[in-house]
This record gives sequence, C-alpha cells and structure tokens, in this order.
Amino acid sequence: MTASNEYAKIGEFKPIDLLAAAAAREVNDGDVVFAGTGLPMLAIALAQNEHAPNAVCIYEAGSIDGRPIDLPTSVGDARCAYQSSKAGGLFETFYGQLHSGYVDLGFLGGAEIDKYGNVNTTILGDYNKPSVRFTGSGGNADINSFARRTVLIMVQEKRRFKENVDYITSPGWRLKKWPTGEWAHKKDVYGKFFHGGPTAVITNMAVFRFDEEGIMYLDTVHPGFTVEDVKNNTGFDLNVSRVSGETTPPTYKQIDILYNKVDPEGIFLP
Amino acid sequence: MGKANIITLKEAAGMINDGDCLAFSGFTIWRRPCQLIYEMLRQGKKDLHLFEVQGGYQSEVMVGAGAVRLWESSWMGQEILGKTGVNLSRKQVNGEIIVDDYSHGHAVARIMAGACGIPFFPTALAMGTDILNPEYDGFGRAGLRDGSNPKIARNKYEIIKDPCFDMGDILLMPAINPNWALIYAPMVGTEGTVRVLAQSYNDSDVLKAADKVIVICEEIVPDEYLRQEPSQNLAAGHEIDYVVVCPWAAHPTGSQGYYDCDADFLREFNKVTRTQEGYDKWAEEWIYGVSGPDEYLEKLGITRLEQLRASAALGYSTRTKRGTR
Repeated sequence: MTASNEYAKIGEFKPIDLLAAAAAREVNDGDVVFAGTGLPMLAIALAQNEHAPNAVCIYEAGSIDGRPIDLPTSVGDARCAYQSSKAGGLFETFYGQLHSGYVDLGFLGGAEIDKYGNVNTTILGDYNKPSVRFTGSGGNADINSFARRTVLIMVQEKRRFKENVDYITSPGWRLKKWPTGEWAHKKDVYGKFFHGGPTAVITNMAVFRFDEEGIMYLDTVHPGFTVEDVKNNTGFDLNVSRVSGETTPPTYKQIDILYNKVDPEGIFLP
Repeated sequence: MGKANIITLKEAAGMINDGDCLAFSGFTIWRRPCQLIYEMLRQGKKDLHLFEVQGGYQSEVMVGAGAVRLWESSWMGQEILGKTGVNLSRKQVNGEIIVDDYSHGHAVARIMAGACGIPFFPTALAMGTDILNPEYDGFGRAGLRDGSNPKIARNKYEIIKDPCFDMGDILLMPAINPNWALIYAPMVGTEGTVRVLAQSYNDSDVLKAADKVIVICEEIVPDEYLRQEPSQNLAAGHEIDYVVVCPWAAHPTGSQGYYDCDADFLREFNKVTRTQEGYDKWAEEWIYGVSGPDEYLEKLGITRLEQLRASAALGYSTRTKRGTR
C-alpha cells in the first residue's frame, strides 16, 4: 500500500479510519478547535498533518495549541501540554477561550440525540429515578452552546437517535427556555450570546447535517451502507431528500498518517 | 517569613468532620489527593458533601464506600480508563446518594465565585438544557435549599436580563465555599509556597474558595527554589493551612513531572467495582486491609512504580505500554 492520495477501497480501511477522516474534513485551516479524548484527538491531529496545519487545538483541562509528540490518552495529560503556547486551567479554557468567543469548532459525543441535535450524556429514564447514569455533561453542554460549529460523533442505533432524548444535557437548535420550559429556537434562548450550533453528525453509517430550521437531514452514506439502513437505525422521521452521495473514504495517505504518525502505539486505533 | 504547618496523614484526615463539604485538586485522573482519601475512609468519615468541578477516581472511591451523601458536579468517570463512573451510577440508580448536575462551565463559575469571595458568577454557558430544569434540581427536591446549610445556595441558579449591554438572558451561578480543599501538589516550599508542574486545572480556585486547605505533597523543597520562578507557582504560603508529605500520594492518578497515571490500576478499578460486592472486595484489598501509604506502595512493588516514573525531559512516562501495538 503506497501512501498516495487515492481513496482506499472497502476492506482496506476500518470503520474508525473512515470516521477519523470524515471528522478531520470538518476542520478548516486556522480553526480554533475544542476537542475531547478519543476520536476527536485523531481527527484534529490528522487535519493538522494534512490540510489544516494552522488549526489550534484546545483541551478543556487547560492546554492551548499543544504539539504532542505522543498521543494523549486524556485531556488532562501532560502530553497535551507539550510545546503548548499556554497551559492554564479550566477558567482559561471555558471563559478565557470559549465564553469569550475564540472557539470555531467543537467535537462532541453522546448516548442519545434528537433531530435538533440535542444530546443526552447524563441518564436514561426519568432524571429523578434514572435506570442508568452516564458521565454527565462535562464540557459537552458548554461547547455545544458557544462554539460556532459543533460536530457530534455518535453510534447509529434506533434507541440513540430518538424523537425526544431522556434529558437534554447539551443544547442543539431547539431548546427549552427556562424558567417556563417552553420550546424555542437556540437564537431566542441565547440572545446576543448566540454563536452557532451543531453542523454535522458523524456515525458509523452516515454523515448528517442540519437545515435552516435546525432539523437534521441525511447528507452522505458510508460505503457499504444504504439509505434504508440509516432510516432503519434512526428513531425519528429522517429527511432523506437531500442525500448528496457516498461518504468519501479515507485516502492511503490518511491511513498511513493515522497509524504511523498519530497513533503508532494503537491507543485508539486497533 | 511563614513556615509550612506540616502534620501527619492521620492528623490531616482526622480534622475532617462527618458531613463536611469537600473539594479536590486535579482533573479526572490527574493530581488527586488519593492517600488522604484512603485514610479518611479508614477513619470511617461519612455523610460527606462533595463539590467537584468534575469527578474522577478519588470521588468514585469515596462514593463506592458509601461515604458521600451529596454530590454536585458536572461529570464522573475516568476518561478512556473507565468511561462512566460505575460507583456513582450504582448509587444514583439505587437512590443512595443525592445528585445535582451542572455543566463543566457552570461548575467552574461556581468555584471561581467562591475563590473571589463574591456570591455568584454570571455565565451564558449551557442555557436551554435540562441542567436548568427546575424539576431536576436534585438538592432542591431533597429540601436542602432552605438556607439552613451554609454550603448550599437557596437557588440552584437565577436568570436575569443583562442590565448593562442588553445581551439578553444570563445565568447567575451561586458561589461554592467548601469546608475543605484537599489538594495534591508535587512540591511545597518550606514557607508553604505550592507548585504544580503542568496544567493548573482549577487547583488555585479550589484552594481559595475553601475555608481550610490541606496540601498533600511529594516533597518539601526550599522556598527560595520556588521563588526563583514565582510565575510558575500555584499558591502562596498564606493561602494554605496544613501540609502532609507523602510520596506517590496521587497514585493511581498521575502527577506530571513525577509519575504517569496507572492505567492498569484504573481500568481494573472501573471493571471490578461495578457491583457493591466487587467494590467492597477491592476496598478491603487496597484501603481497609492496608495500614497506610508504605504498605500500599509495597503492595504495588518497585517494578510497577518504576514503569510509571516520569521522564525528567517530558514530564510523563515513556516506559508504560499504553496501546495495543
């Protein structure tokens, strides 16, 4: 296999390679990116090695624009801070960077999502008597509320793509306006603090985007899957009228960068 | 010239009362005051109230032991070494702990207000979410917002209209001023100056917000050494009350510049403590059946500790096997 810019064929890449390549494509050169542990680290590193060398990576624990020579396994890792321009704390990242409006792009995940991009990472069932507890918000709600664009990385399952999530941990395009709880567009909830919101959802089957109303639609389907597969694994009525084609697979060069440069130890890549 | 007030680990844990509100240094699996937590559990501390910007290994250990009555925070887990906090999950599902959720930014706002001595901090982060749903105000539903506990605000939050620049709705998040800050830092000077060797997380906010501060450290160093580079220091001696010296006190969490986090230990903890029986067995082995830090380190063994020791050049270990290749 030569490290060319040709696209790899089915069987020559793993699902996670395609996810990393698709996520990396969402990074524009010069973006200030707020990233979490795992796949987002692969995506930002891949983008920085290819088309976005000037992207700046912020990890919420406090490091800004680090140049890790070893892949971090945690956002609090000393590896994140190696060669960083600044290493402070969470007041700096959440207020000095995010609230003050520097952040262009955030990568997030979640257990459940609705068609507005509202994400649940807190509980299943009734919050006051839950059947399962997950991690809770962490920075998910903050990043989704203030980054200009967010990319949500999810597992495609009917029980995860729901009409209503059990608990809105993290804000999408239509939200509850407190104290009354009436539904409102994000712009009405955030007023002049509005910066943007979710722009893409990437799963193991497809890439979704959001229309002018803030409603999710299917954009591309990964090689090996069909529109029907995606519909069958979505729990709400999915708009498939705007499908633009197949998700671009990773190139040989991208696979080479991922396995030999970004994650040679096999921390996130098998 | 001040002098660090050095006490023993047992004395430090002994000052903490049942029901006290605690906050910690560190971030998820980094720079947590683990040996102090173990000693508190050996002394049977209970009914504790934890305020955490985010939880991690140390609070999972305390929650699993049944020592925590109130937990307010934004997150619980061990990142990729334990994707959810299995002990909090078990206790919350069983109704054995009172939980109140915030976003990370909300929690940062609360500890910053506490650190500054102001009663609230304004933020527009995470508006429109169920974190602000009045039905899900865990402490309020438990009747804890009646003003009788000075560590619990009368309101979970307040929404006001920005009175200055017409920005729209903004949240006021109440300050938190814990009874104790339990801080792990690698170095403390002879006069009590504190240094950490990487990201500062919320450590200085936590120690300023708390009524009393205990710092557990790897070593005492001459204060004049730390004063050669004052901009690198986390806290001045007058901000802290007690110091405990205890090498490897943060294990299995990591201390940048000294040792890496013990990934195998953390993964194993998350795996075997999913049930209460599993937790109890684990805690008997690593906490209750151990006399103190020396015996704990002997159990770990020199080989394991040497693998965790940080490279002096990089601040992290280059000898641990982290992935599959």
